[in-house]
Amino acid sequence: MSKKKRSGGYAKWGYIFCLPFFITFLIFSLYPTLYTMLVGFTDLHGIGKTAIHLLKDDPFANYKATLTSPTFQKALGNTLKIWICNFIPQLGLALLLTAWFTDRRFKIQGEGIFKVLFYMPNIITAATVAILFNALFGYPMGPVNDLMTRFGFFKEPYNFLVKKAVAQNIVIFIQTWMWYGYTMIILVSGVLGINPEIFEAAEVDGANAWQTFWLVTIPNIKTILLFTLVTSLIGGLNMFDIPWLFLYGGPDNATLTTSVFIYKQAFSGGYLYNKASAASMVMFVIIVIISAYLFFMMRDKDEAALKKIRKQQEKEMRRKMKEAKA
Amino acid sequence: MKKKVLALILSSAMAVSMLAGCGSEAAAPAPAAEEPAAETAEEPAAEEPAAEATTEEAAPAEGGGSGTINLWAFTDEVPGMVDKYIEAHPDFPYKVNTTIIATTDGAYQPALDQALIAGGAEQPDLYCAEAAFILKYSKGDMAEYAMPYKDLGIDVDAEIKNSDIAGYSVDIGTNNNGDVDALGYQATGGTFIYRRSIAKDVFGTDDPAEISKQIGGGSGSWDKFWEAAATLAGKGVAIVSGDGDIWHAVENSSDKGWLDESGALQIDPKREAFLDISKDLTDKGWSNQTQDWQDAWFADMKGEGDKPVFGFFGPAWLINYTLAPNCGGEKAGEGTYGDWACCDSPIGFFWGGTWLLANKNMDADKVPAVKDLIYWITLDSSEDGLQYKWANGTLNGEGGTKDSVASGAVMSKSDGSLDFLGGENMFDYFVPANAYANGKNLTQYDESINQIWRDQVRAYAAGEKSRDDAIKDFKQTVADNLGIEAK
Amino acid sequence: MSNKNKSTLKKAFILVICTLLSILSLFPFVVMIVNSTRSTTQIQQHAVSLVPSSFFFNNLKILVGKSFNPAVGFGNSLTISICATALTVYFSTMTAYGLVIYDWKFRDAFFSMIMMIMMIPGQIVMIGFYQMVYKLHMTNHLLMLILPAIAAPSTVFFMRQYMKPALSPEIVQAARIDGAGEVYTFNRIVVPMMKPAIATQAIFSFVTSWNNLFTPLVLLTDQKKYTLPIMVSLLKGDIYKTEYGCVYLGLTLTALPLIVVYLVLSKYIIAGVALGGVKG
Repeated sequence: MSKKKRSGGYAKWGYIFCLPFFITFLIFSLYPTLYTMLVGFTDLHGIGKTAIHLLKDDPFANYKATLTSPTFQKALGNTLKIWICNFIPQLGLALLLTAWFTDRRFKIQGEGIFKVLFYMPNIITAATVAILFNALFGYPMGPVNDLMTRFGFFKEPYNFLVKKAVAQNIVIFIQTWMWYGYTMIILVSGVLGINPEIFEAAEVDGANAWQTFWLVTIPNIKTILLFTLVTSLIGGLNMFDIPWLFLYGGPDNATLTTSVFIYKQAFSGGYLYNKASAASMVMFVIIVIISAYLFFMMRDKDEAALKKIRKQQEKEMRRKMKEAKA
Repeated sequence: MKKKVLALILSSAMAVSMLAGCGSEAAAPAPAAEEPAAETAEEPAAEEPAAEATTEEAAPAEGGGSGTINLWAFTDEVPGMVDKYIEAHPDFPYKVNTTIIATTDGAYQPALDQALIAGGAEQPDLYCAEAAFILKYSKGDMAEYAMPYKDLGIDVDAEIKNSDIAGYSVDIGTNNNGDVDALGYQATGGTFIYRRSIAKDVFGTDDPAEISKQIGGGSGSWDKFWEAAATLAGKGVAIVSGDGDIWHAVENSSDKGWLDESGALQIDPKREAFLDISKDLTDKGWSNQTQDWQDAWFADMKGEGDKPVFGFFGPAWLINYTLAPNCGGEKAGEGTYGDWACCDSPIGFFWGGTWLLANKNMDADKVPAVKDLIYWITLDSSEDGLQYKWANGTLNGEGGTKDSVASGAVMSKSDGSLDFLGGENMFDYFVPANAYANGKNLTQYDESINQIWRDQVRAYAAGEKSRDDAIKDFKQTVADNLGIEAK
Repeated sequence: MSNKNKSTLKKAFILVICTLLSILSLFPFVVMIVNSTRSTTQIQQHAVSLVPSSFFFNNLKILVGKSFNPAVGFGNSLTISICATALTVYFSTMTAYGLVIYDWKFRDAFFSMIMMIMMIPGQIVMIGFYQMVYKLHMTNHLLMLILPAIAAPSTVFFMRQYMKPALSPEIVQAARIDGAGEVYTFNRIVVPMMKPAIATQAIFSFVTSWNNLFTPLVLLTDQKKYTLPIMVSLLKGDIYKTEYGCVYLGLTLTALPLIVVYLVLSKYIIAGVALGGVKG
């Protein structure tokens, strides 16, 4: 039995095992994606409508309307702002805690309990968190106002939720609060996965904790950092639960994210499926471009270089073979 | 080869079990999956016939005679009435399954729309709509789902005449073919409801007729009202709690609705002037800058806000549904209970009201029962009818809160004296106020558009943007969310 | 000596910061739970208290009176989450197995595709999805929230990364020599071997599914099918506006089971999160 034949005999099992995934993907992901794209070129709007008619005069009308809409631009700006402003402190805090929790020179008492508590907000339903924070910052007698006036920080209750900047910052805070524990645990486990010999070598070389962290730890968890960045970005660009249930994107669109914008257009009264589809596809393209760029930026440079060399060699060989044939 | 066959059988068996539900053999890591899996798997099968039945409009109700009627509402008011009806009629053949979704943030409409469209055994049979969006269900985009009352078997024209139902309520609930498909039980003309103790302090009297004069009641202009506001401000009192209180008076006294004949967005000058009113209230300290339906607004009803608040604009239901439960007491002397009175509003208006609709696609068997409920609530002017009990506060036993109702026949034999109002007969002011109610400036998008408008007005009043920007952003958001362009 | 002092000082500093962060994590939930036992009047006087009161059942009565039934949401969420989780981990392991062990023509292309769609969030294509489900008259079927779980690209990705070093082709080869079929090998040999990774992904998948708001919000209109996050979202309505104790109770009922399960399983969950991260 030749090798080729045998692997061919089993190869079909590869297809079989991947088939359920593929079929589900086709039905529940690919078809809706293509359909959403298509709807973006139609006039589909109105309650309970499903019949689609392609736009004849200007096929890109919905896309143009979305891209030029000041509200969409605002939503996109908010989304990016809220994500960046929550990701930086989230990562900073997670790195700091990681450095502390993985310091080989001393052990923190109760590290396990701290980890459990820091991660807890992440496991609670975001919908519950959003409404809970809405209640916490209630005016005039929400818990935060109660504390602030009782301890004399405020003279009188402050109406947090009607101020645009304040509302936006609370959303940023909630996001940070929910996610720093998760990021920390992932980073800690990444650090623990590094070969201890590397740290020992650094210690032998006389590196202090600071140096070890920046010169040994960080470079070794680069892939994990990339993973964190990409997942956080994708999650961030789709932020819906917190801004929607916290203040429905208000006050005056201060917490309007693109997902909330799309939901408002399509599912909360207007039924503008066509415009919302266009907005969805714009977000889709943005996410794909950003993620691709991040992967490209953070790819393993050595490996990439190696690949390049290999490709060149292959080319060379093919050229030579061609020459030989000729 | 044998193995291969076995594998194939195994895998196909697995695939089947997977498709059927999601439990799998030992392979599934969560053994607990088995149980709920079975449930889920059966669901579609169990519901399919029901779904088909409704589209054919002929099959019997699920579960034989004792099926359920699905009732959708945005407050617990109508569900409470239905409970009372069933209590009084133990032979009522259906169980009522209630869905309540609050409408403050606009959540009710999309949910109701989708439930109506989705159909099936769980579709709403009897549903409520509020003034801010009733037109959509009675004669707008969703009117095709409303069953005209005459098809329920009600001789609607005669009954309306007989009970002397408020004309505006009928206009609003009449579809484009001229058939009545929605009616309410309230008449929601509004008055100004003020604090007696503050009136005495500031104006030296708490007599409604006097206070009416002080604020220019019935004058059709805000001038006297602002004079009073300045006087009150001098004593450290805000005339209203927030701009939302004035809004309802402005909204439903304006000449034009949000849409013109061609369906384009328009801003009635009176509504546009609301920008300046709101700004004045903030800048001159005439309000506590609260937002209606928020904690601070309720606190003002109890007299616990930043500044004491003189009064609220509202129909009788505001007293029944909002002021009384939030006044901080249950009898005179407690909280602000008994310290209220109502007088004429400077500008006549109406605010809110609940209309009842029946689903055209409901099971034919359910029609008589739904008819009984609707008739009892909207048209029955006898002393056993809902409206008589509602107006006299006897629905939940003697001494309940009273409300102004749609039937003139009932109003003429009812007494609106309330301890909450210090013994005042509120109908003295609400009956004339009901004359201002009309459905002419309503559109089916009011709830959504009002929300957007109020948000922009608030931003302008808080000094966060210019007047022009507020109007511009308003038009933009309406276009974005509803696809309605301004001219 | 001074070095040791410095170290103690640093340790103390770290402990203080960590304690503060812990308080920050707990505070909202403590307020929520305590307030669920207090009356609206008590909350209005002082919204923060550490002393529980006796109004729990009173609040519950009001809550249930407003047609808020957390048990229904709980049951639906549980059904969806358990089924979706089982589907996700089983089929993801299967797909990963197909990718790791077998050599087939489009394998690399297929894996690249999975990587690509990992970046596509489901929300983005919700309109197409809704239109499809609506046309099939399946909007109120929990199945529509469960079946898509079969294709979970990120779980496949994790499983593949985990399986590559953990499962040597020799084992599969040995099984074949023993006469085991491919499916048998997968179910009886590979799946048990992958248990740690499966447990990890099961937790993630469960939590994600449990907390999902967007899809059910769009699809479900029947109150009997509502999931817990949807039930929670109803608490924002004006019918609860003045019933503070009642709102906190509603939130507590939805969050407390999760908190309890989390605290009981925390060791495994944290380990699971860690594992998930490393393998990624």
